[in-house]
Amino acid sequence: MEYITELIEKNIFCGTAVLDPRCKFLMLIFIGLASYFINGDLTGILLMAVLGIFISGGNGMKWAIKMMAVYLLISFLNTLLRYVAIHGLSVIMSVFGVTVLKIIPIVMAGRWILRTTCMDDLMVSLERAKMPQSVTIPMVVMFRYIPTLGIEYRMIRNTMQIRGICDTFWKKLLHPLTTIEYILIPLLMRCLKVTDELAASGTTRGLERVNKRYALHVVHFGMKEYAVMAGTVLFLGGMVFLDQTSIGTISLWR
Amino acid sequence: MLEFQNFSFQYEEREENTLKDINLTIQDGEFVLLTGRSGCGKTTLMRSLNGLIPHFYPGKIQGDLRLNGESLLEMKPSELAGKIGTVFQDPRSQFFMTDTTRELAFGCENMGYERKETVKRVANSVKDLRLEEYLNRSIFALSSGEKQQIAIGSVYAMAPKLYIFDEPSANLDYDAAKRLAKTMKRLKEAGITVLVVEHRFYYLRDLIDRAVWIQDGSIMQVYTKNEFCNLNQQMRVSNGLRTVYPEKEINDQLSPAFIRENSEPQLSVSNLNYYYEKGKTVLSDLNFTAGKGDITGIVGHNGAGKTTLLSIMTGIMQEKYGEIRYQNKKLSAKKRRKLSYLVMQDTDYQLFGSSVEEELTLGIKELKKEKVSNTLDALELSEYKECHPASLSGGQKQRVTIGAAIMKESPIIYFDEPTSGLDYDSMIRVSGLIRELAKQGAIVFIVSHDFEFITRTCTRLLQLDENEASQNLSITEDTLKRLAEKYFN
Repeated sequence: MEYITELIEKNIFCGTAVLDPRCKFLMLIFIGLASYFINGDLTGILLMAVLGIFISGGNGMKWAIKMMAVYLLISFLNTLLRYVAIHGLSVIMSVFGVTVLKIIPIVMAGRWILRTTCMDDLMVSLERAKMPQSVTIPMVVMFRYIPTLGIEYRMIRNTMQIRGICDTFWKKLLHPLTTIEYILIPLLMRCLKVTDELAASGTTRGLERVNKRYALHVVHFGMKEYAVMAGTVLFLGGMVFLDQTSIGTISLWR
Repeated sequence: MLEFQNFSFQYEEREENTLKDINLTIQDGEFVLLTGRSGCGKTTLMRSLNGLIPHFYPGKIQGDLRLNGESLLEMKPSELAGKIGTVFQDPRSQFFMTDTTRELAFGCENMGYERKETVKRVANSVKDLRLEEYLNRSIFALSSGEKQQIAIGSVYAMAPKLYIFDEPSANLDYDAAKRLAKTMKRLKEAGITVLVVEHRFYYLRDLIDRAVWIQDGSIMQVYTKNEFCNLNQQMRVSNGLRTVYPEKEINDQLSPAFIRENSEPQLSVSNLNYYYEKGKTVLSDLNFTAGKGDITGIVGHNGAGKTTLLSIMTGIMQEKYGEIRYQNKKLSAKKRRKLSYLVMQDTDYQLFGSSVEEELTLGIKELKKEKVSNTLDALELSEYKECHPASLSGGQKQRVTIGAAIMKESPIIYFDEPTSGLDYDSMIRVSGLIRELAKQGAIVFIVSHDFEFITRTCTRLLQLDENEASQNLSITEDTLKRLAEKYFN
């Protein structure tokens, strides 16, 4: 019995991943803002590097390395293609390159939060932040549904291949709208069914009860969270400031 | 004590009562089976117990429904939450959390129990229902049977005195159903009242105290355990009920006309191998053949590689080693996709068109109007040809997908669990349709856990968890007896 209790109380996450979900979400917002204002090569990479180290300290090392590599590659191509004109690619890069670079830190932090937040911690922390149920329940369902979407999508694509519906590259290219329609309709039908059943299953287990909730872990916005928040604000503020100085204009790739 | 007193219910959008004047008393600790044809009102009866009716599905109620003297009708689902526990049919869409431990705790957290209390209750549930091995795992990595155990565990942690199961075995294989029966037995021994809505009830035969047969929204008959288990076959079939002893009726169902001599092999698979990770083979050196008109039942426990085999045979996945030949020509994955058709368990993934008629013609190059209408007639779908496929019932949707297989003229057709959630009549109908396909020369493969259906339908057996000698056999009385022994003893 003790062994079981230990297993139940065991936290599968460690380090920075066990921060309060509210803290993680606030960080995400600040990172988004900072990423929007930072334009320099060096400052952008510094932001990614520090964020990467932070995430690596909480079950996210693989993901951080992957995103860092993607960031460096795109940052490099972005500069390269400004000087070496490759037909087509240069135009695409000049339109999307900068936007993608600004989105990468947000995606990196966002998916890390998605992966390292227990759903009950999320519900409790949202409730403690005085969010009404009409916000928390859809949020939790969304969190739960994102991984499912991929599975459902693959099932539908498999069936389409067997039935010969929009199965080849040419068919997809010639009828992009039809392809989307044939994917979306079953996907929506499944969504409707699943949300209905999910709601029934939640309701019969008391989801709509209005009382104070307790998660399996202690959810608490404490000193650690305040310290992390202060650190985040100072660091990101510093980065935005540095970006305005001559450091922001240094071009890394020559 | 649970009492239905002259209870009637009419859904808001229907013109007729779905439940008509139900009178039934269930004592504490009783184990009751509710059965009847699809659409007879079993599910509605269940919904009125857990508060989904009228709060989730509005409508008009007459009469009363009382649990230990209290009327349930005035209580909201959230008030009923700790009193009545429900385990739903599809374990995939019941989970709110993404890992098993939190799912087990979900109900308790909703109830507002303190952390210590929740942990204690979950630990209790894990201990009583033997769920240790499932703790701290991702919900997405579990099989249907494992998911179901977690769903029961989550309800168990809330400690209700009354459980409702809605077709719990629909997605389970034999081993998982056995485990489910064991878990239910524990509940019964703990003095809990259990109501099970089910078509395939063989696994409950040692547990039930009474069985209620519902037809058109009314209770037609309440049987004691003995009466129900000894119903004569004629009576049972006319009531549209499945058998309680699938293994005893092998002789009645196995029609001699369908015991076939070995046919000339058209499709041959040799030394088929597959693994997801090196060192962990799913399929190793699989050999089998099949000829025109053969209906091969693919059986094996969960994880034996049934789904993997289907994915390879239909060309969705590429084999690691081995050969698949059709009419002596080696088939690539792409050619296999052209030649085969798969009727999935979940028809929702397979319906793309905006009408039944369009559905049948999708992806077909040369369209023959006549063939479409013939197919619609044969499947009794003509009156629905303008309807949107999503508006049909489960059995009808399945027939639409079978229709698409007929239209595609695929020489090889695969079925994945075609009878999950079907009542007796629909099972017989699907069995007949598949035999008709085979008669017309198709090679058919069926992945199924449904012994009664396999006996009725298949001509050959492919047992993935057997050694090579007894892997691919013709179905005879003898092979079925051996399979029955494996399943039921």
